[in-house]
Amino acid sequence: MTARPREDAPPTPAETTRAAPSPTEAELEAVRKRARRRQASKNWSLFLLFAGPNILLILAFIYYPLVSNMYYSTLDWRLGSPTATPVGLENYQRFFTSPSGLEVWRVTGIFTAGAVIGSMILGLLIALVLNKHIPGRTFARTAIFSPYVLSGVGVALVWMFIFDPQRGALLHILDFFGISSPQWFLDPDANLWMVIIVYVWKNLGYCAVVFLAGLQSVPRDLLEAATIDRAGAIRRFFSITLPLLTPTVFFLLVTNIIFSMTNAFDILRVMTPTGNGTNTIIFEIYLQAFGQYNRAGYSAAIAVVLFVTLFLITAVQLRFVERKVHYQ
Amino acid sequence: MTSLHTVHPAWKGIAACGLVALTLTACGPDTSGEGAAEEAADTDWEDVEPAESIVFATNHPGGSEDQENELIEQFTEDTGIEVEVITSGANYEETSQWFQTGGGSNADVIVLSDATWFPNYLNDALAPVDEILEAADVDVDGYVDALYEDYLYEGSHYGVPYARSTPLFYYNADHYEEAGIDGPPQTWEEVAEISQTIVDEGVADYGYAFPPSNEYPAWGMANLVWGYGGGWSDEWDFSLVSSDETVEALEFAQDAVQDGWANVAATSQTDDFASGVASQTIQSTGSLGGILDTADFEVGTAFLPDGPAAEGETPTGGAGLMIASASSPEEQLAAAMFVGHMTSAESQAFFSEHTGYVPSHVDADMSAVYEEQPQFETAVDQLERARVQDFARVFLPGADLELAETLQSLLTSGDDVAEEMERVEAEFESLYESDLADELED
Repeated sequence: MTARPREDAPPTPAETTRAAPSPTEAELEAVRKRARRRQASKNWSLFLLFAGPNILLILAFIYYPLVSNMYYSTLDWRLGSPTATPVGLENYQRFFTSPSGLEVWRVTGIFTAGAVIGSMILGLLIALVLNKHIPGRTFARTAIFSPYVLSGVGVALVWMFIFDPQRGALLHILDFFGISSPQWFLDPDANLWMVIIVYVWKNLGYCAVVFLAGLQSVPRDLLEAATIDRAGAIRRFFSITLPLLTPTVFFLLVTNIIFSMTNAFDILRVMTPTGNGTNTIIFEIYLQAFGQYNRAGYSAAIAVVLFVTLFLITAVQLRFVERKVHYQ
Repeated sequence: MTSLHTVHPAWKGIAACGLVALTLTACGPDTSGEGAAEEAADTDWEDVEPAESIVFATNHPGGSEDQENELIEQFTEDTGIEVEVITSGANYEETSQWFQTGGGSNADVIVLSDATWFPNYLNDALAPVDEILEAADVDVDGYVDALYEDYLYEGSHYGVPYARSTPLFYYNADHYEEAGIDGPPQTWEEVAEISQTIVDEGVADYGYAFPPSNEYPAWGMANLVWGYGGGWSDEWDFSLVSSDETVEALEFAQDAVQDGWANVAATSQTDDFASGVASQTIQSTGSLGGILDTADFEVGTAFLPDGPAAEGETPTGGAGLMIASASSPEEQLAAAMFVGHMTSAESQAFFSEHTGYVPSHVDADMSAVYEEQPQFETAVDQLERARVQDFARVFLPGADLELAETLQSLLTSGDDVAEEMERVEAEFESLYESDLADELED
């Protein structure tokens, strides 16, 4: 072990002419670490500068309400009351065991199935037509898509006139065919089908446009080869087009299920203000908190159930359904 | 000293959760069980000077924004107190939601309906007004008794009648003439006879239109069940809703639809009446102006029909003015003066003339309105028969909705009325136990 020269000692002539001694591995590592830390610190500063405001907004307006809502779901709390009683998981138990809670699941299941299947099947059929070279195709595409961007409230109001069983347009059409009008607005089952029809009408333009984009990405050469091999239109559709559309079908399935469970509120609220037979889970959240009951805690519990349900549906779809998707 | 880096990540997570929990409990309702509301200290109103300005939250009932502003200008001119107006919603429900969810934390006076003030009372958000009105020299004896009694609970009033309405019987005078009917019915039996004649003569599809579930049928049909000696509740005793008298009244309504002389309107009984689908209906006095504007026939009005057990009792409705408990005594006193001004005989005559609400003050001079709209006189005269609504409909959360859906279902089906009303009674008991019992019994 050699003694290190005193730092304040003047350099010897030999030292002044000789190159500085090479740093040890440890010193080099320390320098590299410092450089990496400086770089990381610089990256973090940049990241915080750009992403920080957004993160703060997301924390304040999404995650804080989400966590708050979870907390409120454990309270027996009337809307606006300064006091509440902690009840643990009682609100959840009530929702999963009470007849009204089970009815919400039934209605949500029928509405979601009807809305998703109806929108996707009709959307696909329309997309197949719009994929052909027909006159006025651009106008037809616009017309089909436009209901999707209309206000749900406006759509619901117009359809209320159409469905009116005393004076509505549908009454006259059904009369022409000798069919008596169902008791729209009065019969809970008819109410549910009524809002499904309106939702499908509003939503199918979205499905049609997405399916159309999917259809246009199907390779023409495959279809032409199949035609040369004498495959008929139905065979070509089921053996080539539909398998190649599975990514689109998968995407629409996920988004439509989520949309139908969360985005139908405006139509439900306007067409059936008291939720007579149309208490889907999103509508029930509103009705329990604001529609006379004022049950803020119970409503929060239903909102958490909806959040978890959507989370699970998406996770299951990503985990299992995506395996069946046929990517090119 | 332990640095942050040496703390186990699990502890950091627990600490973060604890911090979040603390934040949530700090921002949410008080869960200590001790009650957040402190007993209001006794105020010696003689020592209180009215505040220089107050905040008035209103949904402008009946499209009354201009009229409210005019009355406010008069008030400021008379007293020097400034009134800031906040539009708190498009209807009574929205206004109550706004007030309940904290939007109205600075409101001193707020418009709340017969069916929405009670949850706010339970939230300790409303001040009992008796002493404050006395301090402000407001003469409460001038109010129509039944309209003022709507806000009486446990010996105190929590509001004063402002934009008030009652149901009114409307008939199509042209249809009457065509069917050879002399005048409006006095009893429900006569409603049935007239309606049957109208249908038999082919004058209209239906003689009478019942309201659908979204048009508050428990309000419009209260007269029918009271007429038979029934009701929705006797204070907090819900057995009346399944009594023989209530069942008999509802069987009468169910038979009316089954026999074809009445229908349940799909969206609103007003639409069915104004379009001529049905010749008679019961709807709010507040709808008179709209019906007169829409109908292309002569509209007649009459008192609500009598039943076998009672003379056409008329349920009260509409909204009142409430004073916020969170306001300071100075603001409350100014608020009481304002409330007194808005509900004085002169103000109510002016307000009623332009909105169609019935005047809540007995001395309101309505002669000018009667000349223009003679039908309105019936609505005002009918106030003599006004009756405070049953607790179940206006105080029990969710009960009005339960009644609305049950009534619609009963009238459009052949379901057994007695069985259904027993289920409703059980539901009322359940709602009371789960949502009210603890607080009311405390």
